[in-house]
Amino acid sequence: MQTWSIFCRVVDNFGDIGVCWRLARQLAHEHPLRITLWVDDLAIFAKIRAEINPNLAEQKLESVTIRHWSEQWSADIQANDVVIETFACDLPTAYIEQMRSSTTPPIWINLDYLSAEDWVSGCHGLPSPQQGLSKYFFFPGFNDKTGGLIGEQSMRQQRRAWQSADAKQLRQQLAPKRPAETADTQYISLFAYENSALNAWLHRLKDSPNPIHLFVPQGRVLPQITQLFMQAELHAGEVYQYGAVTISILPMLPQDQYDQLLWSCDLNFVRGEDSFVRAQWAGLPMVWQIYPQSEDTHLEKLVAFLQLYLADLPDELAQALRDFYYTWNQGGDIAQSWTILNTEREVLRQHAKNWALRLAAQGDLATNLVKFTQSKLK
Amino acid sequence: MKTAHEVRSGNVILVDGQPLVVQKTEFSKSGRNSSVVKIKSKGLLTGSGSEVVYKSDDKLEVVTLEKLDCTYSYFADPMFIFMDAEFNQHDVEADNLGDTRGLIVDGMEDQCQVTFYDGKAISVELPTVVVREVEYTEPAVRGDTSGKVMKPAKLKGTDFELPVAAFIEIGDKIEIDTRTNEFKKRA
Repeated sequence: MQTWSIFCRVVDNFGDIGVCWRLARQLAHEHPLRITLWVDDLAIFAKIRAEINPNLAEQKLESVTIRHWSEQWSADIQANDVVIETFACDLPTAYIEQMRSSTTPPIWINLDYLSAEDWVSGCHGLPSPQQGLSKYFFFPGFNDKTGGLIGEQSMRQQRRAWQSADAKQLRQQLAPKRPAETADTQYISLFAYENSALNAWLHRLKDSPNPIHLFVPQGRVLPQITQLFMQAELHAGEVYQYGAVTISILPMLPQDQYDQLLWSCDLNFVRGEDSFVRAQWAGLPMVWQIYPQSEDTHLEKLVAFLQLYLADLPDELAQALRDFYYTWNQGGDIAQSWTILNTEREVLRQHAKNWALRLAAQGDLATNLVKFTQSKLK
Repeated sequence: MKTAHEVRSGNVILVDGQPLVVQKTEFSKSGRNSSVVKIKSKGLLTGSGSEVVYKSDDKLEVVTLEKLDCTYSYFADPMFIFMDAEFNQHDVEADNLGDTRGLIVDGMEDQCQVTFYDGKAISVELPTVVVREVEYTEPAVRGDTSGKVMKPAKLKGTDFELPVAAFIEIGDKIEIDTRTNEFKKRA
């Protein structure tokens, strides 16, 4: 059986390990491969998978061997058939030496972050000759000239089977103290960074004619909501009322349950990369808050994504969604665009569904990676 | 050694023992993605073209080859002919010039550097800044005087086009940075 190693250096938050874990698990489940995931920060990993013991040098979870990537790297560790460095993390020098001395040199991949920009298609799959080895750049993306998005077959099957009754049951389970559902209740999940547009948006929701239920997983946005409520602290599991808005604070959710939350809402606010991808697979309207970068370099990625994502929407609605995304990411007046979006919910819903179908037609990242490496091994 | 970001058209890099003349470089950087440089090159010994990509801080071995100061004489398809101080002619294949080609015009007096590998002229480097005349560009839009708004301009004597500041007009001479082929300012 072919052996693969994935190297993950946790830079911040949960996105890096979130992506790597999903990839490792999918490769192990859906392809005949033996997967080892090297992670430098197991404590962060344990936050998204409680089964992980941060003190173990080696452990196994869902058919994936997980090894601690420590500073003291043993020169004896043999290279695998396929080696993936994620997000341009540098491999240990001794490991590269092992790769060079292998009878059959491994396929070496640099898996980078997701972007919709044009240059990504031009660089995807190109070799990067290094020390006698060929490293290949592999970019996730939104067209067939890129690697596609991470999306497990199992997740997509479960998503298709997900029913409104399942959604109701999950909402009940996640927020047992919330008021009874009514037919016109609108469900929104809110996973966000600190956000200068948030207060104005919540203020709009407060006067909504229909009830709104907001699910807020614990995270960086919570202190801002706490401040709005003028309370010392908001607690996970508790429910708070703000005019028409019921706010349920959720504990850190396991990845799979977070996916289900996304399937169970009418609108999802997501952040970073991992949750952004999951929201697209959910096939439901979403708003993305991109990871902020110095000199606003992240905004180019946002613009490139919106150019693709909004292409098939009617002009006025596309403009409203664009405005809302920009405001959500940069601040500004959120009222007018929100009003338009809120009255066109059904069009946005159909659009999100079509978008997910289009992504699925391009194949998923893990399968595309397997195909790519097999073509290089021939 | 140079970082991939420092490599420019005309350089010769040694990859796995093979000398490659760099024809084009493209730098890309956004968000959290690694900043990368895509390099289009041609094997000096094999003549075959290739495209590779590097992280911008990857180190590349740039081969120091014999260089001679020359001036451009004329084009004899597919060769560009340059002349050194002792009136020796040196032929450089058009393909090897890459992006530089668009800035070579008849009558130019720029002091160029022709690079030799194994006795053969293989590439040409222009000075860091060259001055060229604008043959055509759309008229300036009134009010666009900040210098930040750009519009396309075609250079005289070549098909080369580049974005220039909105205030540039037909007949203006402009400075171009040959490392990036970008407009710098009105000359």
